[in-house]
Amino acid sequence: MEHALSFATWFWLIVPMSAVVVLSLVTYLMGK
Amino acid sequence: MNMSTPTLVTFVVYLIGMLIIGFAAYRLTDNLSDYVLGGRRLGPGVAALSAGASDMSGWLLLGLPGALYASGMNQVWIAVGLTIGAYLNWQFVARRLRVYTEVARDAITVPDYLENRFHDSSKVLRMISAVVILLFFTFYTSSGMVAGATLFEKSFGMDYGTALWVGAIVIISYTFLGGFLAVCWTDFVQGVLMFLALLMVPIAVVAADGGWSNTVAQVAAVDPARLDIFHNMTLFGIVSLMAWGLGYFGQPHIVVRFMGLRRSSDMPTAKLIGMTWMVLALYGAIFTGFAGIAYFAEQPLANAETVFISLSQLLFNPWVAGVLLAAILSAIMSTIDSQLLVSSSALTEDFYKAMIRPKASQKELVWIGRGTVILIALIAVLMARDPDSTVLGLVSYAWGGFGAAFGPVIILSLFWKRMTRNGAIAGMVVGALTVILWKQVEGGMFDMYEILPGFILCALTVVVVSLMSTPPIAAVQDEFDAFEKTLHQ
Repeated sequence: MEHALSFATWFWLIVPMSAVVVLSLVTYLMGK
Repeated sequence: MNMSTPTLVTFVVYLIGMLIIGFAAYRLTDNLSDYVLGGRRLGPGVAALSAGASDMSGWLLLGLPGALYASGMNQVWIAVGLTIGAYLNWQFVARRLRVYTEVARDAITVPDYLENRFHDSSKVLRMISAVVILLFFTFYTSSGMVAGATLFEKSFGMDYGTALWVGAIVIISYTFLGGFLAVCWTDFVQGVLMFLALLMVPIAVVAADGGWSNTVAQVAAVDPARLDIFHNMTLFGIVSLMAWGLGYFGQPHIVVRFMGLRRSSDMPTAKLIGMTWMVLALYGAIFTGFAGIAYFAEQPLANAETVFISLSQLLFNPWVAGVLLAAILSAIMSTIDSQLLVSSSALTEDFYKAMIRPKASQKELVWIGRGTVILIALIAVLMARDPDSTVLGLVSYAWGGFGAAFGPVIILSLFWKRMTRNGAIAGMVVGALTVILWKQVEGGMFDMYEILPGFILCALTVVVVSLMSTPPIAAVQDEFDAFEKTLHQ
């Protein structure tokens, strides 16, 4: 594909914001 | 553009729904703790969405999609910073504050907590924090009203004054009647509406653009730089945008949701719901603005901030568009009502009860609370009648000011036994002054968002002044130990 979001853009768009949800899920499950 | 009948009907149903919630909460409000903190009986879902909806103003549906539409992916950094800040607030402040406010003689407001935490009989700490809250939130409330009324004026040709009064009367009514419970329950419904809107609109736009690949290709055709998260960004600029996240620890209208939670053990559930809501809502706003670039490639919008509302009108039938419109209004109202109530609680608990009538009955205090809601709202409406008024410019100090003046003080008070009252006062003053002075200077490091230097200097001041002053008395230290013990039970 000629035009796409770069890896760096995807990375910074996805990783930090998803990480907080995953971390919250882990704390939630650990408390169960 | 005028409001169609289905849109108007949906919209009126929404407003009536808010009033019904206000009345239901009225029946459960007996004392001041009920009125300003819901008697600490929020479930995790309501606490989480209420914290999120109070935090996210019209910026979420207007400002952020508008910024993405105008500049592209490099506007994502502020969302990243806010998400991390909100998470750290849930992780490190929420449960501790919930527990400590109860241990510290059942504090029901932030100034109340600070006074009780340090056993400050001089009332200086309470007064400084209450004045700051009252001042900035009155302007904040007013500025939110301006945003709402302007939206209706520009989008539907409604008279500015009419829009202002209709919105204000609905918000005043349910906040007046039901206090904190009404504000939190309406926030919950408003948060759900915002969430649904921010899921539906981006999906519909990407579909209308012909799928994700086509959306990206069309954005690239408009301007390939808008695909790049680093376009025109320096490390300095990224840090400055992400520093917005530091504001969370000191926002009274957000942290008070933690204090109102039913059980501190519900915190992990609330955190999970809150963070999931926030992240999906932010993605919705980001992709709405991004896909809007492709959708409006041929005929760009004159005002970028109308991207969400324009797409709602163009892509959905009028009934759904009415719901989406209610979602925008929800974002604005859920922030105004929370700030209004925090201001009212500062006047009632921190001035009236603390200074004027310490022995006032609970019934009297609830009615004083209701009276101050009307008083502050009327002042806010009067200021909002002139949308160009320069006093409203004070709002630009509010997020950074609260974040830098209260944030480090609240965090350190929850973690550091050796912290003193003088440390807290000095930290608050230095944090607030740094934000105000930093904003006056331009160029070089002074272009950095003022919350970062304010936050650091406030924290340093708290530590240095606390270490220089006499250690806290035994009663304060014992209370801290009792708090830690309760926390680990």
